[in-house]
Amino acid sequence: MESTRRKRKKQRGGEDTKADQEKKREMAQRKINGNKLFMTVLYAVAACGAVPISDLLDRASQRSDTLHSLSTMLTQDLDSHFPPIGRMIMPRPSMCHTSSLQTPNDKEQALQVSESDLMSLARSLLQAWSDPLEVLSTSVKTLPHPAQNSISNKIKELQEHSKSLGDGLNILSGKVRKWVRQAQTISSLPYSGGNDIGQDRISKLTNFHFLLSCFRRDSHKIDSFLKVLRCRAAKLQPEMC
Amino acid sequence: MHAVFWKCNIRNTCYYMLFLCLFCSSETVYECPDYRTAGENSCFFNKNNTSIWVNYNITVVATNTLGSTFSDPMDIDVVYIVKPNPPERLAVTVEEDKSWPFLRVSWEPPHKADTRSGWITLMYEIRVKLEQENKWEMHLAGQQKMFNIFSLRSGGSYLVQVRCKPDHGFWSEWSSTSYIEVPDYFPREKSVWILITVFSAFIFVILFWLLHMNSHSLKHCILPPVPGPKIKGFDKQLLKNGKSEEIFSALMVPDFPPTTSSNFEDLLVEYLEVYIPEGQELTLQESKDLHDGCLKSEGSTSDSDSGRGSCDSHTLLIDNCGEAKEEERQQDQERIGMEAQRHQKDWEEKVLNYAHEDIVSPDMSSGRVKTWPSVFSPLPQYSSNPPDQQSSLEMAKQHYLSDSLFLPDSSSTYLTQPGHSTRESLEPSYCEFRLSNKQPHQLHPQMQASQQLHMTHSDVNISSIGCKQAPAGLQSPDLRSTQYVEVQKVNKEDMVLLQPVGKGCRHIELCPKMPQGDNYSKVKGVNSDNILLLQRGVMEEDRCPCEDQETNGAREHSHTASTVTTTQKPTACIHTAMPVQDEIALAVNGYVDTAIMCTLPTY
Repeated sequence: MESTRRKRKKQRGGEDTKADQEKKREMAQRKINGNKLFMTVLYAVAACGAVPISDLLDRASQRSDTLHSLSTMLTQDLDSHFPPIGRMIMPRPSMCHTSSLQTPNDKEQALQVSESDLMSLARSLLQAWSDPLEVLSTSVKTLPHPAQNSISNKIKELQEHSKSLGDGLNILSGKVRKWVRQAQTISSLPYSGGNDIGQDRISKLTNFHFLLSCFRRDSHKIDSFLKVLRCRAAKLQPEMC
Repeated sequence: MHAVFWKCNIRNTCYYMLFLCLFCSSETVYECPDYRTAGENSCFFNKNNTSIWVNYNITVVATNTLGSTFSDPMDIDVVYIVKPNPPERLAVTVEEDKSWPFLRVSWEPPHKADTRSGWITLMYEIRVKLEQENKWEMHLAGQQKMFNIFSLRSGGSYLVQVRCKPDHGFWSEWSSTSYIEVPDYFPREKSVWILITVFSAFIFVILFWLLHMNSHSLKHCILPPVPGPKIKGFDKQLLKNGKSEEIFSALMVPDFPPTTSSNFEDLLVEYLEVYIPEGQELTLQESKDLHDGCLKSEGSTSDSDSGRGSCDSHTLLIDNCGEAKEEERQQDQERIGMEAQRHQKDWEEKVLNYAHEDIVSPDMSSGRVKTWPSVFSPLPQYSSNPPDQQSSLEMAKQHYLSDSLFLPDSSSTYLTQPGHSTRESLEPSYCEFRLSNKQPHQLHPQMQASQQLHMTHSDVNISSIGCKQAPAGLQSPDLRSTQYVEVQKVNKEDMVLLQPVGKGCRHIELCPKMPQGDNYSKVKGVNSDNILLLQRGVMEEDRCPCEDQETNGAREHSHTASTVTTTQKPTACIHTAMPVQDEIALAVNGYVDTAIMCTLPTY
C-alpha cells in the first residue's frame, strides 16, 4: 500500500504540472501584490509620521530668504567699489536669461496664480540659475575687485543654498498629491552667456554685476512665491499669516 | 520728453526728475509725475505708476540758464525698499502669574500691509521703558503679534512701543506710545524686613564660620591650657600601659636617692658651710640682686617645667642673674657663705640640694670655684632631673664664675655628698641656701626627713641646707675653714634666724626682702665677737646694724676655723668691729680677701 501511495504522489507531482504552475503564478502574484501592499503600507506609515507640508514649506521659505539676503549682500559689496563708468553701460535687466519666463508682475497677479504653478515657477527659476552660478564661481577667482575674497565665499554659499533649496523643492513637489498629479513642468531656461564673463576689467565687473542683479531679482521672486505658498498651506495655523 | 519747470529756486535753477522704466512695456523716459506730495525736492510715484520687479533708472537734472547737469542715475527695484506703516492698535495689559505681575503687549499689523496672503511677512520689535528713565528696553518679537514682559518694578509706570519690518525692507516708524501702570505687588515694608533678615542671617553665618575656623585659637585665649605636670622621665606611655614599676623606675635617678651610706643625719644637719679658701682670689660673686631676682621669682619664670619657677630655672638664672653677674664680675667678691640667708622667699630645701651632688659637683669637677649663692638654683625636687639641674646650675654658676677662680682644691666649697665621686675633693663646702616658697615636691624619704627642719611660713619654705662636712682629712691645710649655720627658726616675718653651729646662739635676722642692688659682699670687718660684718654695697655703710652671730654650734663639727656667719638683712648693714682689722686686707672694693680671712683667729 505504501508503494501505491508513493506512486500516486509521483503521479500527482508529475500530472499536476499545469495546475501547479497556475498555482505558482497565483502565488507569485499574491506575493508581489503582498509586497506592494507591504511597501505601500510602509510608505503610508512613514507618511503619517512625516513632516507636514506646512513645515516643509516653512523650511523652504527660510532657505529662500537666506538666499535672497546673500545675493543682496553680494550686490552691495560689489557696488561699494564699482566704477561709476560701469553704471552707464549696464545691460538692461530685460536681458536676463530668465526674463522669458512668465511670472506675475504684481501682487494681484501673484495671488491669482495657483499653488502648483507657483511651485513650478519657483523651481524653474531655481533650476535656471544652477549653471550661471557655476560660471560666477569660476570667474570670481579672477575678479578684479578689492573684496574678491568675500565675494568668492558668498558665491560658494549661494551655490550651496541654491542646491539644497532645489532638492527640498523637488521633495516637496513629490509629496503634494496635487502637484504630483499635475506633473509640474519645469521650464528650461538655458544660460547662453557661456563660461566667459569678459576679458577686460570693466566688462568683467559689469557682467558680474549684471548677473548678480538678475539673480537677486529672481531669488526675490522665488522667496515671494514660496512665502505665499506657505501661507496658503498653513490654513490650520492662522497666526502665521 | 518735455521738462516741466515746476520749481525754480532763487538762483533760477530748476530741478526735474526723469526716470526710465527698464522693464516697462515701453522703454521711454518719463518725468516725475508728482513733485508735491512728498514735499520739497521730491517726486512721488503713486501705486499706479510703480511696478515691482522692475528696475527704475532715476536721474535728477538741474538746469538753469547756463545749462543743465545730470546726476548719477540710481537703479532701484521698488520691492527692495519697502517701508511699512507702523503696527496698529497696540494694547498693553497687566496679567498675573503666581502673584508676580507681567505685561502682555499685543498689536495688529498695519492695515495696508497684506500679511494674510503672505505677500508681506512682517517682523516686529517692542521697546519698553519706565516713565522716569531714558533707556529703552528692546525686545524682538519675530512674526508673533503678542509679547510678554516680565520682571517689572512694582508700582512703576511703563511706556510701550512697537514697530515692524518686512523681510527685505526697512523698519517702520514706532507706533504710538501705550502707558501702563504696574500695581504694588511687593509691599515695601515687607521687603525691608526680608532684606534685613537675609542680611543678618548672612552675617551670622559668616560669624559662625569665622568662629569655627578660629575655634582653636579662641579656646586658647579664653581657656588657656593648664600646663600639665612634666616630670622628666615620666613616660605617659608607660603609665598607659599600666606598668607602674616601669614608671617609677624611669623616674628614678640612678644615683638618687643616695643609696650609699649617707648618713641620714648628715642630711639633717643644717649647716651653712662657708669655705674660704686661701691663696687665691676668690671672687665672691655675690649677687644680691641676683638672689633677689632668683629668689623672688617664683612665678615669673616661664619655664616649661612646672613647679620649677624659681631660680632653678635655666632661663631665670640667665635672665635675672645676668645683670648681677656682670656687676659682680667686675668686683672682687668674696664668697661668703652667709649669702644663703639672703632672701627668704626662695628657700629651698638644702637637703635636697645637698643630696644632689650633681648640682654641686659640676662645679667642682670643673675646678672652678663657683659662687654657690649666686646659683640659687632650686633644689631639685624632681629626682629625675639631676642631669638637667646639673647643667643648669652649671651654666648659671659658670656665669658667675669669677675669672680667676680656680681652685683645684676648692671643691671644698661645694656641697659634697657622701658617696659621690666628688668625695675626693670633698671639703667643707658651701651649703647652698635656697629659699623657695614652693612646697617641696616629692622628696625622697631621706630628704623628707630633713624637711622637718624646715619651717614653712605661709608659702615660704625655708630649707636649710645642710652641709656635709667633708672628712677632715680632706681639708686643705689651714686655709680652709668652714662655718656652719643652722637655722634656728623662722619667725613670723619671714625671717630666718640662723645661728652658727656650735658657737652660740644669736639671732640672725633675715629680712624678708632685700632691695635690689644691695650688695652685701663687702666685708667690713670682723668684730671681736667673731662676727663678720658685712657692709652693704658700695653705697651705704653703716646703715643698719646687722649682726652676725657667732655660731654657737648647736651642733658640733669637727671643723674649726673661723666661723663666719652672715646675716642678711636687706636694709641692714653689717657692722662689726674689726678687731683684726689690720689683718684684714680689704680689697680694693672693700671685699675681704678670703685668704686673709682664713687666717683669722678662730673663735
